[in-house]
Amino acid sequence: MPRLLSTILTLRRDPRLLKLPPYLSLLCIVVGVVWLLLLPLDDYSRRTYISENALLPGQVHTYFGGSDQNVFRAYRHEVDALKDKTNIEINDGLETIIKGIGLKVGRQNYTYHSAGNTYAGENAYAILHAPRGDATEAIVLVTAWKNVKGEFNRNGVALALTLARYFKRWSLWSKDIILVIPPDSRAGIQAWVDAYHDAHDSSNVASLPIKSGLLQGAVAVDYPHEGRFEGVHIVYDGVNGQLPNLDLINSINNIANGQMGMHSFIQERFGHSDKYNDRLKTMLRGMMNQGLGHAVGPHSSFIPYHVDAVTLQPVGNGWHDEMGLGRLVEGTFRSLNNLLEHLHQSFFFYLLIHKDRFVSIGTYLPSAMLVAVNFTIMAILMWVKSGSGDGSSAVTGTETVGGKKEVVTATPSAPPTAERELYLPLGIVIACHFLGALPLFIFNHTPSHLLAPFFLVFSIFNVTLPPLISNLVNLTATRPLTLQQLYLLKSFSLLLLGMFLSSLATLNFSLAFLVGLVSTPLSFARPWPNHAVVRYAYAALLHIVSPAAVVLAGTAAYASTMGLGENGSGLLDTLEYVLSEAAFGWDVWGLYIPLVVWCVWWPAWLVGSLVVLGQPGTKTKMKSA
Amino acid sequence: MKLSRILQLPVLLASTLLAPVHHVAAEHTSNWAVLVGTSRFWFNYRHLANVLSMYRTVKRLGIPDSQIILMLPDDMACNPRNAFPGTVYSNSDRAVDLYGDNIEVDYRGYEVTVENFIRLLTDRVGDEMPRSKRLLTDDRSNILVYMTGHGGNEFLKFQDAEEIGAFDLADAFEQMWEKRRYHEILFMIDTCQANTMYSKLYSPNIIATGSSELDQSSYSHHADNDVGVAVIDRYTYYNLEFLESEVRDLSSKKTVGDLFDSYTFEKIHSHAGVRYDLFPGGADVARNRLLTDFFGNIQNIEVDGAKNSTVDDEMLALSRTIARLRVLADQEALESKNATTSANTETRPKKKIQLTKSLTDDNWWSKKVVGATTLAGCVALWTLGSYLEGSRK
Repeated sequence: MPRLLSTILTLRRDPRLLKLPPYLSLLCIVVGVVWLLLLPLDDYSRRTYISENALLPGQVHTYFGGSDQNVFRAYRHEVDALKDKTNIEINDGLETIIKGIGLKVGRQNYTYHSAGNTYAGENAYAILHAPRGDATEAIVLVTAWKNVKGEFNRNGVALALTLARYFKRWSLWSKDIILVIPPDSRAGIQAWVDAYHDAHDSSNVASLPIKSGLLQGAVAVDYPHEGRFEGVHIVYDGVNGQLPNLDLINSINNIANGQMGMHSFIQERFGHSDKYNDRLKTMLRGMMNQGLGHAVGPHSSFIPYHVDAVTLQPVGNGWHDEMGLGRLVEGTFRSLNNLLEHLHQSFFFYLLIHKDRFVSIGTYLPSAMLVAVNFTIMAILMWVKSGSGDGSSAVTGTETVGGKKEVVTATPSAPPTAERELYLPLGIVIACHFLGALPLFIFNHTPSHLLAPFFLVFSIFNVTLPPLISNLVNLTATRPLTLQQLYLLKSFSLLLLGMFLSSLATLNFSLAFLVGLVSTPLSFARPWPNHAVVRYAYAALLHIVSPAAVVLAGTAAYASTMGLGENGSGLLDTLEYVLSEAAFGWDVWGLYIPLVVWCVWWPAWLVGSLVVLGQPGTKTKMKSA
Repeated sequence: MKLSRILQLPVLLASTLLAPVHHVAAEHTSNWAVLVGTSRFWFNYRHLANVLSMYRTVKRLGIPDSQIILMLPDDMACNPRNAFPGTVYSNSDRAVDLYGDNIEVDYRGYEVTVENFIRLLTDRVGDEMPRSKRLLTDDRSNILVYMTGHGGNEFLKFQDAEEIGAFDLADAFEQMWEKRRYHEILFMIDTCQANTMYSKLYSPNIIATGSSELDQSSYSHHADNDVGVAVIDRYTYYNLEFLESEVRDLSSKKTVGDLFDSYTFEKIHSHAGVRYDLFPGGADVARNRLLTDFFGNIQNIEVDGAKNSTVDDEMLALSRTIARLRVLADQEALESKNATTSANTETRPKKKIQLTKSLTDDNWWSKKVVGATTLAGCVALWTLGSYLEGSRK
């Protein structure tokens, strides 16, 4: 035992030990990425199952149909007549119809300001009180007048009205049913959900005149599609990458596939082969949506309030008609009606790779964690290095003759612990993080037409920022940053990054993984005082993975997929769209993604660039250069 | 005192000799049923339907409501989710409304607890408990105990909050036996791993049967797609089927064995179990009990003035014991007389002191030695310590 201890102690002093962490760190990254790529395999994913006993999906006959078809056509006629009216006129019309069904109607005004634009409108909603229920719980049926793409949700609204009329005839509801018809799918429903939970800013969003019980689930119908359809696309991503309970998605899949004979799709993979390729694409698209954290349908706004919600979109050409979709909604509502409490049995953290295969958090989390851990390992290494005294001596060694350097590095069998100069590196790291508030403020408070130019200016400024700060520090400080200070700089920065990312991974796995992956070059950033070429090459590499460059690249990719990237103006428009979307998310949905980008990722990147550009030389050398 | 007993003895002997020989144990004078559902919530509709269909069957065969204890933890009929308000059906043909007329629920809602169930069985209830909620049985009562709910290995869940263990149940039955609260019991249970529930019973005169073995689930039979839930469990369904087709009225001669033989894996989808060993006479006697002895209301009427065979039996046994004891006492007296005369040795019974007994017998001495050594070592250490302390001073 003592011998073992002494071996460990001697090993601790072994200089080779300090060579190990970079490889370990690289290994973590590689394993993390490979881990993610393995997830779509059968061994690492599981088949979905219904774990809440009460749901009993597909066990009831659905009777929506028959003469309801005529009712549907009539309502669609009414909806068509309202098509080109103003929001208020539409709501007047809807109110008349809904009151005709015999439901209580409420209306709510809202006004949001974001990126110089005003998003105002009026929501209309109705409450169907459960005839024998106790009004303590409710389920929501949402049909926005316009869907996320801005298309007129003609069939959706008509279907919802027909369903409301049909549901009114049943006496078996244990929960109230709320029908919400916001004018759009983005701001209106957010205002409604906020107000329902009394979490609204009453200067911009009006309180709700009538309310029901606790929301237990929500289904949004997005049905601008004309004609018969093949299957239903289940959209489930929520704001900030939160997801609804997997039981809800499974139940809808179960009812659609088993009872209605309808296909169901997720993540726009229509015609999923259930092979590795499709599974991976499904997963990556899900991760992208989760990482961006934006609302992808009217259901998204419900999820932060722990109300499980999905949007159903009919897609393709098949033999199912509106009544089929209506029956799917009916079946889902009957299942939700059976619930005794919130959906809680199944998973809230999962990656779906196929409509009935998923990866649970325990399986996928290690990949993001490993990527985050690589930063922590390097941070610890830097801390050790900064304290070993090796740093300053090595510098003196390199400054002088090569032969002397060897002597210096060879002699310290027990390197003296150097005093660490903490204040300057710590100050720089903290300052960089606070500096992040600047772009955060700018991009959330600039009018939308200025966003794209501002961003381009910022990008150029971003390129010059690291050398600027580097010089500034070197000029103002009594002497340029020593190697030890650069080590500490990197240590603090990576420590923070590792910490942020590993805690973020539990909230929004995809965002943590993506940011972690793009930031990996920061782990290996170090000063190259004698190799100007390597230094500038690495600085260039860092610029490629800078937040600004990634946003630009993402915009270009988005533009090319939308077919807008042919000319420069299209690209600019897309950039403006993306940025105003981010600002909208920040202002309306409460996205925290901009915060992560500008106050976690960008500062880490900035400090990394400073480290690369750092030339731990003497002041005279700096001045000569 | 002694004199009077001696005088009674020939009378008793004579009476037993004269009494008819058929003091058969099968004779019971009342039938009771304890029907317990233990789960609440809408999706457990079938458990309540199980209990109610059993209730209907025993009522059909003549057990009056006053002798049926019905425990229903939830009210499915009035659940807002029920598409047919006020009704409970155990079949998707919805021919018979189990919740229709003349239904008397004795324990409902949150009254259905393990405590109340055991108190009911053992009759440990307060004065305020109405007679309708008590199991007023005696040693001539046959009881059908039927339970259904969600269970596991040696437990049955009550209301999502607590559970009754197989040992609790066995002890309750034993207490009933000790308090002479039953003549015979037919215990039926329909739950997952049901057979484990009766595995711990140890009181006599119990026939037990359950729907499924250890690690087996008990499955539902079918669902009603308008009610939207499963309406009955397989085991109960086939029990009912047998009872309804074979035991049409009280004149039925179908036996318990016939019912148990009708259980097949194909029908129930689990291995139904039966336990006869608690029954005096074992499987043969138990299997020959009529189903109407438990499900029906056969009343063997006791004509006033006729001999109560139980009392007679017991008096006979008592007088025999007394006679035997007397003979023993005489012998002992004789022997002691002999002993005192011959050897004058000590024959007085030694006064015994009950020593404390360790729970396990293994290595008792070695443990003592280890303990003693440890103590001695401690003392030695202390002595050494104090010695050294003293010397330093």
